[in-house]
Amino acid sequence: MRQPGEYRPSGGQFCGRTRREFLWETGGGFTATALAAMFARDGFLTRQARAADGVTPFVSPLAAKVPPRPAKAKSVIFLFMYGGPSHVDTFDYKPKLYGLDNKTIEIKTFGRGGKRNEGRVVGPKWAFRPYGESGKMVSDLFPNLGNCVDDMAFVHSMYAESPIHGSAMLMMNSGRLISGNPCLGSWVTYGLGTENQNLPGFVVMLDKTGGPISGPKNWSSGYMPAVYQGTVIRADGVPIHDLALPPGTDRSARRRLLDRLREKNEEHLAERADNSELAARIASYELAFQMQQHAPEAVDFSRETDETKSLYGIDRAETADFGRKCLLARRLVERGVRFVQVYAGGAHNDDNWDAHTDIVANHTKHAGRTDKPIAGLIQDLKRRGLLDETLIVWGGEFGRQPTAEYAEGTGRDHNSYGFTVWLAGGGIKGGTTVGATDELGAAAVEDRCHVRNLHATILNQLGFDPNALTYFYGGLDQKLVGVEGAEPIAKLV
Amino acid sequence: MNPRGLLRVLTVWALLPPGAAIRAAEEPPSAPADSEKAAFFTDRVEPILKNHCAKCHGAEDKIRGGLRLDSREAVLKGGDLGPAVELDAPEESLLLEALRYEGLEMPPSGRLPDDDVQTIVRWIEMGLPWAAGADSAPLADAHDEPESIARSDDWPFDAIVRPPVPAVKESGWVRGPIDAFVLAKLEAEGLAPAPEADRRTLIRRLSYDLTGLPPSPQEVEAFVGDESTDAYERLVDRLLASPHYGEAWGRHWLDLVGYGETNGYERDSAKPFVWRYRDYVIAAFNDDKPYDQFIHEQLAGDEIAPDSLGAQVATGYYRLGLWDDEPADRPQARYDMLDGIVSTTGQVFLGMTIGCARCHDHKRDPIPQTDYYRLLAFFIDMGDQTGLEVHPFGENGVKVLSVREKGRAEPHVLLRGNPYLVGPKVEPGVPEAIDSGETTFTGEPGKRRALAEWLTDRRNPMTARVFANRLWQYHFGRGIVPTPNDFGALGEPATHPELLDWLAAELMDGGWTVKRMHRMILLSSAYRMSSKASAEGLARDPANQWFWRFPMRRLTAEEVRDAILAASGELNLKAGGPSVRPPIPAEVLAGQSVPGQGWDVSPPDEAARRSVYVHVKRSLLVPILATHDAADTDSSCPVRYTTTVPTQALGLLNGSFSNEQAALFARRLEAECSGDLADQIRRAIVLTTNREPRPDELARDVAFARSLRTEAGLSAHDALTQYCLLVLNANEFLYLD
Repeated sequence: MRQPGEYRPSGGQFCGRTRREFLWETGGGFTATALAAMFARDGFLTRQARAADGVTPFVSPLAAKVPPRPAKAKSVIFLFMYGGPSHVDTFDYKPKLYGLDNKTIEIKTFGRGGKRNEGRVVGPKWAFRPYGESGKMVSDLFPNLGNCVDDMAFVHSMYAESPIHGSAMLMMNSGRLISGNPCLGSWVTYGLGTENQNLPGFVVMLDKTGGPISGPKNWSSGYMPAVYQGTVIRADGVPIHDLALPPGTDRSARRRLLDRLREKNEEHLAERADNSELAARIASYELAFQMQQHAPEAVDFSRETDETKSLYGIDRAETADFGRKCLLARRLVERGVRFVQVYAGGAHNDDNWDAHTDIVANHTKHAGRTDKPIAGLIQDLKRRGLLDETLIVWGGEFGRQPTAEYAEGTGRDHNSYGFTVWLAGGGIKGGTTVGATDELGAAAVEDRCHVRNLHATILNQLGFDPNALTYFYGGLDQKLVGVEGAEPIAKLV
Repeated sequence: MNPRGLLRVLTVWALLPPGAAIRAAEEPPSAPADSEKAAFFTDRVEPILKNHCAKCHGAEDKIRGGLRLDSREAVLKGGDLGPAVELDAPEESLLLEALRYEGLEMPPSGRLPDDDVQTIVRWIEMGLPWAAGADSAPLADAHDEPESIARSDDWPFDAIVRPPVPAVKESGWVRGPIDAFVLAKLEAEGLAPAPEADRRTLIRRLSYDLTGLPPSPQEVEAFVGDESTDAYERLVDRLLASPHYGEAWGRHWLDLVGYGETNGYERDSAKPFVWRYRDYVIAAFNDDKPYDQFIHEQLAGDEIAPDSLGAQVATGYYRLGLWDDEPADRPQARYDMLDGIVSTTGQVFLGMTIGCARCHDHKRDPIPQTDYYRLLAFFIDMGDQTGLEVHPFGENGVKVLSVREKGRAEPHVLLRGNPYLVGPKVEPGVPEAIDSGETTFTGEPGKRRALAEWLTDRRNPMTARVFANRLWQYHFGRGIVPTPNDFGALGEPATHPELLDWLAAELMDGGWTVKRMHRMILLSSAYRMSSKASAEGLARDPANQWFWRFPMRRLTAEEVRDAILAASGELNLKAGGPSVRPPIPAEVLAGQSVPGQGWDVSPPDEAARRSVYVHVKRSLLVPILATHDAADTDSSCPVRYTTTVPTQALGLLNGSFSNEQAALFARRLEAECSGDLADQIRRAIVLTTNREPRPDELARDVAFARSLRTEAGLSAHDALTQYCLLVLNANEFLYLD
């Protein structure tokens, strides 16, 4: 129902949008397309496998799609270090900074406290040592990740516009400083669909202390249909909202209800057989029933060996929570989930990497919770042959300043002039380092990479020309990388 | 001269020292005696330009910022910001500003080494020598015009002339001009209109359409049994007079203006007293406030009626959007906020995507960048009102989220939309595609009133066309122009432009009253058609673009929740006032950075109020509304998506809201139909579908409920609760014929 009419020959193709995107744009007809391809593939509803216009075959918006170019990566695990880890204390080695500890110097910074021209240096609080064949210098915060450096590629020259959490989070997630735009995971599932129709294609795992600032805006599909938004799942207990049967209902009673519901819905459909939305909705109840079965299986670690669990640190209190999330991330990409985002850090203040007062206490805690699990994830993916097709991205919404925020203490303010992210797997050249900050780590100066370049790199590895993946909205061909476009980081790929 | 060319010239002249352009043209590229200088260029300068600049400012690919650095002439000519080099004052050259990262930052990949920057400084001081004889690959114009641009005398920008009502063959079907326009197209396409729907279908369709609520069983029976000839007409009039009409149609307006009750961003704090705007909108529809007055009050209530509380509340229109209380960049945040107002105003009232012209001329519509900043100029003096700032009104000091003008700002074009790249000054003005200078505006106080009056002036054809199209859209599920916020070249063309013009003329001639338009549309044969398909219709027009039948639709998010509450008997129909917060499951609250913050749960009777009164918190949506495609609040929402995904099924089957309501529904049935399961089930079907069950249907439903008792071991109440859950999940409950 409510399908729009024909294209205007001169205008319809101008922005290269597909007929289906157009249906979404006008709001009508979208449902007609939902779900059906997967059922068609399962031999389900094949006879009705026509959209309401009787011409367009059903295509689920989440059906797996082939990217336009050969892809290096099939899925993405984005480990989001919410709050902004300090690059000079983690992966960006700045030897000169140690000797300047507590000295007040001229330096341009821009953070929560505004723009400043001088500041009191806080020397790095950890020693760095070389690891691997690449000899990459890594701080003692990450002894386990240090052993993975030859699989990791570091970008030390990241920069972004905003040193404020909310807008910086939206920038890292959606490429824009204001909300209302689809985030990276939405773009990826829009472009590629997902390979397992029994699980959501775009999954978000939150820190046990709570969500990041702005909550669901960080996994929103913005102006795209809601089907592309992230689904929050948990790594223990019931993984998906409303997945568990309500108290007092068992599976057999539920099956009875579903059977009678289907009968009633099919009687209703009989006189309205042309309305594919009704058929799609009938099918969605069966799919929901399947999800109730399969989603808990994804979080059921009982068949994982103790050795594996130990590899992720699940056997230790400090690392168990994040370890479970990393292990679940592996299980999800194994099962065809396209985009998994895992937050390390939530809520406010020192519940995340936002070390305004005491860098030592804060980073010891957050690195301690995540070092072993992330190293375990890399190693586990590698030995299973999955690292080649799984792109891991690690980073926060910005870095931290080399100088103190306050007169006392070791806390650092936000820094979007320069910060570090690293990538691994998915065709990324391991053991490489791209770009540099100045000798104090205050700002990116060499091979500077904007967040959009990171986004372009991720899309590139998934088989897209980042400047050609578009969605028509608001009169424009929207792109994750913005109207100006952005190139992938060439030295990484 | 086209506006883009004009802008370019103005920019260049504004930034050039007097005579510079002329001198640049007269000076030889490099004198023969300057062979050393040429060598300096070739050896030192050219490699820098080639390695760091050529990709975006060379001859190839796309040129950024309109600037080319591949010839001396091009460097002196400069780009969007003016000449790249000032030969008279080398230190003031934009090129150096960019290389030194003093405001502009080039190249973006990182600052060049100081040596390289010094080389460029010397090069400029030398007078910008170029390689001997190598000057100037031909200069392409970086400002290529869009290949085709709509002319402003094309529909929809031309004047509205009421078209003649067409003649049709089957004139017996025609109840009024609307039917004649629809039928004329159908006959031209060889299609026949669907027969009239039955009365149960019609009252269900009308009740949801006009009030967002199902009809009560008594209302259904009264209408079905009413044999008078004007039964349908009286039903339409009764529903239009219902106070719930404004709640349903006001909600459409709230979609369009991007109504939210919080500021978004990090804290997502509540906008104080914003609900008064919501109540104003609902009352405006209920009172049949003329649409022109409705526009005037929202855009300029403070200027038109400073003594009217309602008019002050109406200007809350400007305060509904995102507001950043902690911006990284204040000028940017200010213009982002103004952009929300310009984009929404352009789309909602004019059906034009003027927001596309923030950074550059519109790619396809005749909307130059100056149009954007001229429209923005109307709003620029409302100042930087904080998201929390309220203005006391009247003797009692009623707190209102309204606007006040503060000071006078000078509006300018912002080059590439960048608040730091200030271009030529502009005066307030309206899109030139509609009005190329017939009406003049000033920056004096009262300018928003002038804008509002221009919007509703007959000479502006867009306002009436756009609103008439929306009325049609909300009744028929799809606009005559299917992209209701974009009537431009990138929107979808109108299926029935004559009908739309006729409706637009009727809207204006009828004094912009809205209920009169509803009545005309609802009384048509077209609206009364069945939604059942005919084989012929499906074959010839499967998308129903010619409206040969009435389109089915799913209930909207608000209707789903309200209908469930109505079935359970819990719905609290109290109107107006501060918004309510129904319970949200802890697992959903867990996604907030402080779970539960900003969501103090209302007591049960308040929590059961209509969805239009549920608090609209931008970062936290009530699950049943969110999963059924409630409007996104961050921009104007012209059409609701209808998605069908398994998470909806999970929510409706397992979610706490539907299960609690199912249990309350069962209690209601037990109270109203004591003891008899068949009676209870019959009543459940009547309440959820507005029809009597078929005998076999009743028998099988009873058998199902019994089996839950006998085979699944549920109590009578629990079995009935499961049955209630079933009917609340049924397609027949959630879809309208």
